[in-house]
Amino acid sequence: MKSQIYVFIISLLPFCNNIVQGQPKLSIDLGVGFYEPTLTGFDQNETVQFPPKSILNKNLMLNWGIYYEFFNNARIGYNSFTSYAIGKSITLINSEAVFRRSLSYRIFPIETFFRWKPNVELNFTLAPIWGRGRIELDTTPGDKTDDWNYFINSFGGSPDPVSDMGATDVMITDWFGYSSMLGFRYYINSRIGVDVKGGFMNNSYKEENWRIQRQKVTGPKMKVDDLPIFSLKIIYGIR
Amino acid sequence: MRSLFLIILFFNIIIAQSPKKSADSPCDDPLIRLAELEGIKAVPLKDLIRLKKLMKACERAGGKDQISKLYENDWNRDYKKARRMASWTSTHAMCVFVSFGYYFVGKVLATNPDSD
Repeated sequence: MKSQIYVFIISLLPFCNNIVQGQPKLSIDLGVGFYEPTLTGFDQNETVQFPPKSILNKNLMLNWGIYYEFFNNARIGYNSFTSYAIGKSITLINSEAVFRRSLSYRIFPIETFFRWKPNVELNFTLAPIWGRGRIELDTTPGDKTDDWNYFINSFGGSPDPVSDMGATDVMITDWFGYSSMLGFRYYINSRIGVDVKGGFMNNSYKEENWRIQRQKVTGPKMKVDDLPIFSLKIIYGIR
Repeated sequence: MRSLFLIILFFNIIIAQSPKKSADSPCDDPLIRLAELEGIKAVPLKDLIRLKKLMKACERAGGKDQISKLYENDWNRDYKKARRMASWTSTHAMCVFVSFGYYFVGKVLATNPDSD
C-alpha cells in the first residue's frame, strides 16, 4: 500500500509543470547606493596616510541583487551594497603598500509591493544584513625574499634571482544588522524598470571583532549604525 | 499501477511536444502567440532576440496593432495581479512604513543629550 502511494505521487509529478509554469518571476538588478558613514579610523588616522576621502570611496556603493517573486505582491532575494577604497603607496615601516578596503552590506530582503498604476510600483523592504569589512594590504617583507632565494638557490642556477616579493594579507570582520526601505519603481517595459529606494540601516559593528590569519585584532573606528541609505538601480526581469 | 504511470508519462511527453511549425506570417509565429497568451516574461531568455526580430517583422507586415496590444496586455496582466496587496503583504508593508517613519521622525525630533 505504501509503495502504491509513492507511485501515485510520482505519477502526478508530470502534471505539476502546469502549476510551475505560471509561477513567479526572477529578476536581477544593478545600480548604486549612497550613504554617509563616519570612518574615523581612516579619515583621522595620524599614523598611516590613507587615501583622502571622496564621494567615490566613502559615499558611493555598488549595488547588485537577485529577486524571486514568490507571491503576487511579494519577493525575496539577495542584495549587496559594497563600497570600495583603493590606495597606492601607503607608507609603512618596511614597504610602500597597496591598500584595498571594502565594506559590504549583504542584504536578504523580503519585499512586498503593489502597482499603483500599470507601470508604477511602490515597494516596502525589510531586511536582515550580514555585513563584512575587508582590508587588504600588499606589503614587501624582506625576509620573505631571503627565504625564497634560499629555497630557489637549492636547485642550482644563478644565485639570488628574486630581488623583490610582495605578500598580500587580509583582515576581516563580520557584523549583523537590519534595514528598512521604501521604494518607487517605474517600469519602462514589462522586463525593464528603474527602482529608487530610500530608508535606513542599523549595523552592530564593533572594532574589536576584526581578525587576521585567525588572530583577533582591533580594527578602525567606524560609525555604520543608524544610517540613512538611498539606492538607484535598473531592474531586468529574467522570467 | 506501473503501467498507469507509464501511460501518464507517455501522454505528458507527447502533449508537451510543440512541433515548430514554420509560420507563414511572422505575426502567427508560435513565439508571438506564447507572448500573447502568457506574457513576454514567459518567453525563454534564449528566444528573446528572436522574439524582438519577430515583433519588428510583424510590425512591418502590418501587425502594428497586434504588437501594441501584446504590450498592453502584458502591462494589464501584471497590473491586475499586483494592483492590490493581498494576504499578509499589507501587514508587512505597514511594519516597514512604521519603522521607516519612526526612524526618520526620530531623526528630526530627537534631541541629543549632549546639546543640553
